Amino acid sequence: MGLFPSTKCLPPAISAPARTTSCSPPRRPCRTEGRGPARSALTFQQIRVHVAQHVGDPQLLAGTGATVDVQPGRLGEGGAQRRDGQGAWQRRGQATLRLLGQSAASRAPPPAPAGQPCASGGVHTRGRPPLLRGRCWSPPTSAGRTEPACPGEESNALGSRQAAMKDSLVLLGRVPAHPDSRCWFLAWNPAGTLLASCGGDRRVRIWGTEGDSWICKSVLSEGHQRTVRKVAWSPCGNYLASASFDATTCIWKKNQDDFECVTTLEGHENEVKSVAWAPSGNLLATCSRDKSVWVWEVDEEDEYECVSVLNSHTQDVKHVVWHPNQELLASASYDDTVKLYREEEDDWVCCATLEGHESTVWSLAFDPSGQRLASCSDDRTVRIWRQYPPGNEQGVACSGSDPSWKCICTLSGFHSRTIYDVAWCQLTGALATACGDDAIRVFEEDPSSDPQQPTFSLTAHLPQAHSQDVNCVAWNPKEPGLLASCSDDGEVAFWKYQRPEGL
Amino acid sequence: MAGSQDMFDAIVMADDRFHGEGYQEGYEEGSTLGIIEGRQHGTLHGAKIGSEIGCYQGFAFAWRCLLHTCAAEKDREAAIAAPMNRFALGRLPRVTEGSRDWQGLRSKKMKVLESLIGLIEKFPYDDPTYDKLHEDLDRIRGKFKQLCSLLNVQPDFKISVEGSGLSF
Repeated sequence: MGLFPSTKCLPPAISAPARTTSCSPPRRPCRTEGRGPARSALTFQQIRVHVAQHVGDPQLLAGTGATVDVQPGRLGEGGAQRRDGQGAWQRRGQATLRLLGQSAASRAPPPAPAGQPCASGGVHTRGRPPLLRGRCWSPPTSAGRTEPACPGEESNALGSRQAAMKDSLVLLGRVPAHPDSRCWFLAWNPAGTLLASCGGDRRVRIWGTEGDSWICKSVLSEGHQRTVRKVAWSPCGNYLASASFDATTCIWKKNQDDFECVTTLEGHENEVKSVAWAPSGNLLATCSRDKSVWVWEVDEEDEYECVSVLNSHTQDVKHVVWHPNQELLASASYDDTVKLYREEEDDWVCCATLEGHESTVWSLAFDPSGQRLASCSDDRTVRIWRQYPPGNEQGVACSGSDPSWKCICTLSGFHSRTIYDVAWCQLTGALATACGDDAIRVFEEDPSSDPQQPTFSLTAHLPQAHSQDVNCVAWNPKEPGLLASCSDDGEVAFWKYQRPEGL
Repeated sequence: MAGSQDMFDAIVMADDRFHGEGYQEGYEEGSTLGIIEGRQHGTLHGAKIGSEIGCYQGFAFAWRCLLHTCAAEKDREAAIAAPMNRFALGRLPRVTEGSRDWQGLRSKKMKVLESLIGLIEKFPYDDPTYDKLHEDLDRIRGKFKQLCSLLNVQPDFKISVEGSGLSF
């Protein structure tokens, strides 16, 4: 604006920050500038093409190698050049970009050969849209762009694959579960008919279906003084445990549609982060920011007593989960480790420590058989661990009679932010993750992969599942493919997952 | 010749010699100061740990006595009440703790008490280089918290090693 042109157009001697060290005349910034070294040569080419088009000189055009169909009269449309220079430029720019696209793609380096196991234990599955599934490869050298392997044809395959992945997860409904606060966790009851949600508004809500929609069947509001962080149903479905930041855990008993608080478990020094029932129904585990994991035993008369206080972690414990068929407890912590505990001579001891994550481990999930454990972390990876009992045929060393756990698979590159929750469907074996980038992803194991070195591929990716961080995903235990998710925006969403064809 | 070499040596190496002598003196002085400071440091930390464990031990002994006398009283009461129950058709209040068999609960408490006392007594107080020092201390603290939970006692004395209970 005004009399003087912008500093970019001034010769280098006059402009104050003399960044350009060369004496070449300053170039007018093009839309394609700054995309890497290959581009700057083409930019000059582009100028030539534009000049050729403007002049309408076919000879000049031939020299550039351009074969685009250009009508020289196009310049006249859209008015005088100065006024509509932007629009006219853009139109020409688009035609040129298509040209440039093809030539750049032909220079794309081929991806590295597949099947190279990485040093970090097991097979390292790197994710990159378009998802060539499986193993290690080095990223393409041109910064920022995802280059298709073969020019031209792959772009269609990429589009259809991404579309297929979006269609495989279909929204069934949304409910504003905890308005004006976060929804922290969801839990399906063992029968799959009710969903409990808890949130920052200190309430626990129970949702059930009525026809096609989900309605709130009851609200448990008098239990806690602070945020309720997790809820868990007992295996019989009659009790609901809720863990809260007020350092207590409430046990609610269900009579028809009403819930009544029968006990409050106290003892933790600060916020209780998680609660979980053992599959036998007799044991309950809680963990807290005070770095301890408490194991409680419940008898037939609803009396709870503390069986053990485990101080193995060195930092805040985020999640506890029980093994589906053994009396084995797993806990995930801010100290980057996962610890496993079992009962030994009347007391609980830490029998294994799984190290490998580089940051807080937020959540854990056992697979339906209990052979493998999935852990998700702030380092944006999901790790799959496998149990090797003593005397195993793979020759994995075990100390004493304790099985040892090894990381057999790492899923990295799929998530762009912290992964807050992972859920392993007990019916189909699909793995769902809740990520801080507002997306939900579903992974499935390749049926042909080696059980000792499995590969998982991304079968569903929904980028804007919620408007804020997704805190929890939960598979329905009875209906395959029904997934519930909740988020910091206070909403609970229900999804139908169907494995897409051809993936 | 040898004499002149020694004389020059003495002059030329004087700097190094003084350096070395100074280093030696400083090292010895530093060592003694370090030992004194280390002793103070160790005294402080040892006292903290000692007071904490001593606290748990006193707590455990007191409760053991209490539970023993309590048990003795209940035994007597039960012995008196038993024949009368048969007559009064259960109208007399039964000696129970909550709805549970108090014998069972008491034995659980006693078991945890005894294991806590055992852990405390087994702890090597005179060996600061014991490799399982922190693990054992954590186990003792865990047992103590479990005991408090069983006895329904809130440990409201602040133990400074735990730090403050600030929540963000």
